[in-house]
Amino acid sequence: MKFLMLIVKNLRRNLVRSMLTSAGVMVLVFVITLIWSILGFLDIATSEKTSNFKGIVTEKWSIPSQMPFSYAATLENGAAREESDVKPIDSMTWQFFIGSTEKGTMGFNSFIFAFCMEPKKLLTMMDELDSLPPGPRAELDDAIKKMEGNRQGIIVGQKRLAAIEKKVGDRIKIFGTNYRDIELECEIVGTFPLGRYDNNTCINRDYLNASLEAYQATNKKPHPLANKTMNLVWVKVPNKDTFTQVSSQIDKSPMFASPPVKIETASSGVSNFLAAYKDLLTILRWVLAPSIIATLAVVISNAISISVRERRKEMAVLKVIGFQPNQIMFLVLGEAIFLGVVAGSVSSIGTYFFVNKVLGGIPFPIAFFSSFPVLDGALWWGAAIGFVTSFAGSILPALSTRSIKVVDVFSKVA
Amino acid sequence: MATEAIVRVSHVSRYFKRGSERVNVLNELDLDVPEGQFLALMGPSGSGKTTLLNLIAGLDTPSEGEIWVGDRCVSKMTEAQLARWRNEHVGFVFQFYHLLPVLTAYENVELPLLLLPLSAKKRREQVMTALELVGLNDRNSHIPSQLSGGQQQRVGIARAIVTDPTLIVADEPTGDLDAKSAHEILDLLNVLQRSLNKTILMVTHDLRAARRADRIQHLDKGRLVDQPDEALYEAG
Repeated sequence: MKFLMLIVKNLRRNLVRSMLTSAGVMVLVFVITLIWSILGFLDIATSEKTSNFKGIVTEKWSIPSQMPFSYAATLENGAAREESDVKPIDSMTWQFFIGSTEKGTMGFNSFIFAFCMEPKKLLTMMDELDSLPPGPRAELDDAIKKMEGNRQGIIVGQKRLAAIEKKVGDRIKIFGTNYRDIELECEIVGTFPLGRYDNNTCINRDYLNASLEAYQATNKKPHPLANKTMNLVWVKVPNKDTFTQVSSQIDKSPMFASPPVKIETASSGVSNFLAAYKDLLTILRWVLAPSIIATLAVVISNAISISVRERRKEMAVLKVIGFQPNQIMFLVLGEAIFLGVVAGSVSSIGTYFFVNKVLGGIPFPIAFFSSFPVLDGALWWGAAIGFVTSFAGSILPALSTRSIKVVDVFSKVA
Repeated sequence: MATEAIVRVSHVSRYFKRGSERVNVLNELDLDVPEGQFLALMGPSGSGKTTLLNLIAGLDTPSEGEIWVGDRCVSKMTEAQLARWRNEHVGFVFQFYHLLPVLTAYENVELPLLLLPLSAKKRREQVMTALELVGLNDRNSHIPSQLSGGQQQRVGIARAIVTDPTLIVADEPTGDLDAKSAHEILDLLNVLQRSLNKTILMVTHDLRAARRADRIQHLDKGRLVDQPDEALYEAG
């Protein structure tokens, strides 16, 4: 306890330096917490589940996948034809509608990215929305019911709603970008809970399909995307064996000849989507994060080295009055580790609460993820990073204190 | 005064290598200091006073010869043994006090006790006794920068005596003080010697300070000399 007091008092000796070093640690831990949260979240998204497997059916040879909507019903049944065939427990179709609330232009404040799907699937098939706590679930359920009663209903993520400067109850017109000449007039019936879907919107698939039919009726020809409107089909199966069987059923089905389709696990599908970001993620994981940790160690090493050099006489005095070389070394290590662990913890815990509770996630749109939560592990990451980097940064200066020779420090010609 | 030697320096030489050259600082020096004696070591610059003090205090080891303090041969101890021994048996008083600037007077005095297996209560008792002896018990919460030079040296002396050491070594303890403060510090060392029977070794350039000791030993070119050349001190 007395040694801890000595450590704390020593850190107060040069408050500006200690605070600057702490600030450096906090900034770097903040950045690394964000990076690790994004990477960790993607790791979770791309790791295989052992139960409640989700599979993604897409066009086999083409990216982006654009399948005819006529595939939907068969695929949602897992292409089951025989009595012995298995069917998925649940399923969902996705049609992506990209547009703008302003005709002819698209900016941050007018951009709309919508999943066109069956509204009721939001609560059973969408990650995170399928496990909402009772309050937010009831609110979303209420919005879904409105969408089912009014197929022009739209649910908008809270940040997107703020960006387009609308509120629940307002009506918006979305001018299609990928679906050229398709304009959807929607009524905002609710929002997603804060988090992953902050920038997304959901439109009833029936409305998009009806709009495509209306286009054909008006223009006497089908819309160019009319037969390519379905981008993904999600199927949920209870386990890996069932997935394999459904996969086999889809592969063998003669229904999907043109275009052919494939099914892969959700994690594999997400991995494929993330392939475009592979270099970026590799740099984040193997270059940026280690560089930050190394920088952190250098920052601490610099501060501790200066401190040790300034205090050689004091350390010699400690030796004179009986402190062992190891005790002095541990005092120096203790100062660095105390500073690193405290500053690191404050930073990562602060980041956790600020990003999750105030910002509602890290805004880093990538693949279908618009923002990322700071993972629970961040609560101890700061302490761990602080400990490791401060230990690495201070071990050499601390070891150097062992070799301080009292007679050299106090040497004078007397 | 007791007559049994508590410090015995026997044929001690200390030399350093400077490149290929050997620099002899002490040459086959013999010295006995009886228990309870206040000994002043004087000599011109480079005569080896501080080196001798460092050797006796276990901060350095002789190139040749032996040094005994009480029943311990200091010159044969390992670094860890020396650190423990210094903590329990030697009190140091430095010319420039060398107090830790971030600690209060109380905490500075308490430092050597942190290494001993003492309860907080016992530590407090010893610290307060030491501060009382040097007349600074009302300044125990002051940090060094809030104390005068003389007061800082008193704290340094309190730190030196707080473990009740066998030996007090003082390297120019008045060298950084004005005449009045120097006088007070020497008074204090005299009190410690007489009332607590402490053995004190003091290195000084100041003849007036040396005259406060029971005995003065002169060093010149690494040897003890009986009749110093007065001119040698003029530079100091």
